Amino acid sequence: MQEILEKIYDMTAFSGIAENPGCLVMYVLAFCLLYLGIKKGYEPLLLIPIAFGVLIANFPGGGMGVNAVDGEGFVTLADGTKENIWDMSLPKIAHDLGLMNFIYYMLIKTGFIPPIIFMGVGALTDFGPMLRNLKLAIFGAGAQFGIFAVLLVACNFFTMPEAASLAIIGGADGPTAIFTTIKLAPHLLGPIAIAAYSYMALVPVIVPLVVKLTCSKKELSINMKEQDKLYPSGREIKNMRVLKILFPIVTTTIVAILVPSAVSLVGMLMFGNLIKEVGNSTSRIFDAASNGIMNAATIFLGLSVGATMTVDAFLNWQTIGIVIGGFLAFGFSIFGGIMLVKLFNVFSKKKINPLIGATGLSAVPMASRVANDIALKYDPKNHVLNYCMSSNVAGVIGSAVAAGILISFLG
Amino acid sequence: MEGNVLEALKLLCVGLTTVFVVLLLIIMLGNSLIAFVNRFIPEDEKPIAKQAPSAISPKVANAIAAAVAQLTGGQGKVEKIEKI
Repeated sequence: MQEILEKIYDMTAFSGIAENPGCLVMYVLAFCLLYLGIKKGYEPLLLIPIAFGVLIANFPGGGMGVNAVDGEGFVTLADGTKENIWDMSLPKIAHDLGLMNFIYYMLIKTGFIPPIIFMGVGALTDFGPMLRNLKLAIFGAGAQFGIFAVLLVACNFFTMPEAASLAIIGGADGPTAIFTTIKLAPHLLGPIAIAAYSYMALVPVIVPLVVKLTCSKKELSINMKEQDKLYPSGREIKNMRVLKILFPIVTTTIVAILVPSAVSLVGMLMFGNLIKEVGNSTSRIFDAASNGIMNAATIFLGLSVGATMTVDAFLNWQTIGIVIGGFLAFGFSIFGGIMLVKLFNVFSKKKINPLIGATGLSAVPMASRVANDIALKYDPKNHVLNYCMSSNVAGVIGSAVAAGILISFLG
Repeated sequence: MEGNVLEALKLLCVGLTTVFVVLLLIIMLGNSLIAFVNRFIPEDEKPIAKQAPSAISPKVANAIAAAVAQLTGGQGKVEKIEKI
């Protein structure tokens, strides 16, 4: 009888949890993330799959956690033997390591999913506001400062590829952070993805905080429409439709020539945008890119990234470093954008509201909405949304270029 | 460790400069594109045939044509719009 009870005990997850109580911390983390995603509505499309991935990955015996590979590419199998992951066929990975490893090594580790998500993002992005306020796009570059500033600090505590993967959180772009981490430090994918998406969800808190610390009331009251009236650009766009079709083609060409390693992200972003702008003749593939493919990719990305966060991979000092470093990268990026606007205002008659610099980090369109709300608090007639969208969308391109640079130097 | 800091400093300079250069080029080429489009392709093709003088404005007609094209995946065409 006792033997049967022991077998039942071993069959359940209780025995595994008793052996490794750190699992309980992971359950708490998963429940917190689920709460934030479901109840608070913070990035629910990604936070909920990630949280659920964390939950199911940490039940001992479930086989749903992603097995991390060591520096030489060896993975530990259930029987304790080691095998090089690159010598294993996909059916063998599915058979020996389980469903989640199959998804992870097929779709994530190969770097397939982030560009696919970028295609969907491109299909949902309107470059119109950026084209109408093209000069403001430069502030998308200032907001990449956080990436490189935090790299400078983090390289003292991490290896260079790990520090770069951590620093890219400052780009405030989830797929870019994941893509860079897959290429440079795949063992940190879980905590970096969680930190990136959590901070993106916290844009409504972080942006106002940095703005409050760095901007005066006078600066935040700068009315962009009044500035436009005082200093008109003297240019109108006569055919926006054609311009929107040509723009993704030209941008892809420039980026491909200057930073080829960023093409997988920027190219797919622009391809998604192109099929949106072409119109009726590509409406079917636009629909696929922005709905079906994008949604399926999001599910696989979220679940498998969550499944990389097993107890051993998550509960260590590196994760704490990533959480702190990611926050600093995010903050410094907003700071960098604001400072660039302030510098511009010193030399220019036409003043720019510093909020347009703050939205230079990606996080489209949430950062712009938050900035617009801040501007309206200081001047109820000051709608800066369209202006912010210019630097905001440029920030997506900027962070993808920054990622390409990091990958080419450190990959 | 010192080597890492030097490499990070190098990346700071190279990285930020490249991002600035890429965005500057995009701005410059964007401006050139606007000038090109304004000069050579200033207006969009009119998507539907001329209507008999009626109370339906071209804006409304274009909107209806776009909606029909969207719903029918480009297969359907608006030939006539009548007020009932």
